[in-house]
Amino acid sequence: MNEAELIARIIEGDRLAGRALYDMHAPRVFSLAYRLSGDPEKAREFTQDAFIRAFSRLSQFRGEAAFSTWLHRIVVTVVSNARRNEVRFGREVALDEAHSIESTAAEAEPDLKESIERAVNRLSEAYRTTLILHDVEGYTHAEIAVMLGVPEGTCKSRLSVARAQLREALAAFKE
Amino acid sequence: MDEDRFEEVISDLPRSFNAPPPPPLDEMWGVIEDAHFNSPLSKLTSRSSFLTTPWLAAATLLVGIGIGALLPRAKPPATVPAPVAQSAVPRETSAVADAYRDQTHQYLGQAAALLISLPASDGSKTADSAFANKAADLLVTTRLLIDSPAASRDVKLRSLLDDLELVLVQIARLRNERSRSDLDLIHQAVEQGDVLSRLNSAVATTQSSE
Repeated sequence: MNEAELIARIIEGDRLAGRALYDMHAPRVFSLAYRLSGDPEKAREFTQDAFIRAFSRLSQFRGEAAFSTWLHRIVVTVVSNARRNEVRFGREVALDEAHSIESTAAEAEPDLKESIERAVNRLSEAYRTTLILHDVEGYTHAEIAVMLGVPEGTCKSRLSVARAQLREALAAFKE
Repeated sequence: MDEDRFEEVISDLPRSFNAPPPPPLDEMWGVIEDAHFNSPLSKLTSRSSFLTTPWLAAATLLVGIGIGALLPRAKPPATVPAPVAQSAVPRETSAVADAYRDQTHQYLGQAAALLISLPASDGSKTADSAFANKAADLLVTTRLLIDSPAASRDVKLRSLLDDLELVLVQIARLRNERSRSDLDLIHQAVEQGDVLSRLNSAVATTQSSE
């Protein structure tokens, strides 16, 4: 059964089709949520919220973009809204600490890895999201433009600024 | 750090930056399945079932009638010259916008009242059921408004409606299940999303523009 058929069946209330579509996309959605949040518990909540929202709006999916792009746009929106609220209420966790505890990539040099995470997390939300989507998750500028609802040129310029700021932040780093 | 090393850092980001742990697929699916497929509200989620479910169709009709009642009556066919007919188009458009604004204002007030009187974790079962039913009613209107021109023109309203939709889904689920953590989660969602103060602000905005 292809993706379009699964979507049609979910709209009719078929939970097995729901699970099948979920299995196809959940690992990537969770990965994206984790990359953006740096916290496994939040990534779990964001993934759940994104799928609940997506399933409830499947009838609005027109197929103009790939389903994965449409779904990932919802994830980015859910995460961005949550981060905005955290900042607004001053409840942002010490991301540096969270990352150093939760991250599982032990291969990179610990100091450099820590410096990169700190530098990325100090970027403004728009630059940080664009950098993570492009350089970490590997989305194209066209896909990011759809996800963020901005022109492709804006994505390119945001990525360029994000890399420049990252380069500057890491300039003093000595290995 | 030189340019070459920086390029290496960038190309290594997929491996080194926030490398995700294995996703808890079954655990997450349990929550999603419960919220979407096990809830009586799941019938609301698709447009096809939405329109074929009688009471929902009735709710849609009621909102439509409400909007229609607020519109000015059509004037009898006129012997009016063309310039007047041309000016009737924007007036009609404005009347539709006014009707949506009135419906939105009424809805926002009801949503605010519901959230303000949300019971504490030790509330009674009866209260839960009444709240859940009211939330289900408001959820219908929420989803209609999300698709309405009013929300498509107003980004802040759309964002508020999106957050309200999730909160109302959670409250409506209290009809079936009840735990302290459920209500705590709802209170937390309302608080973190700043939903009440955004609601109050939206109510004030729609009121002042009347």
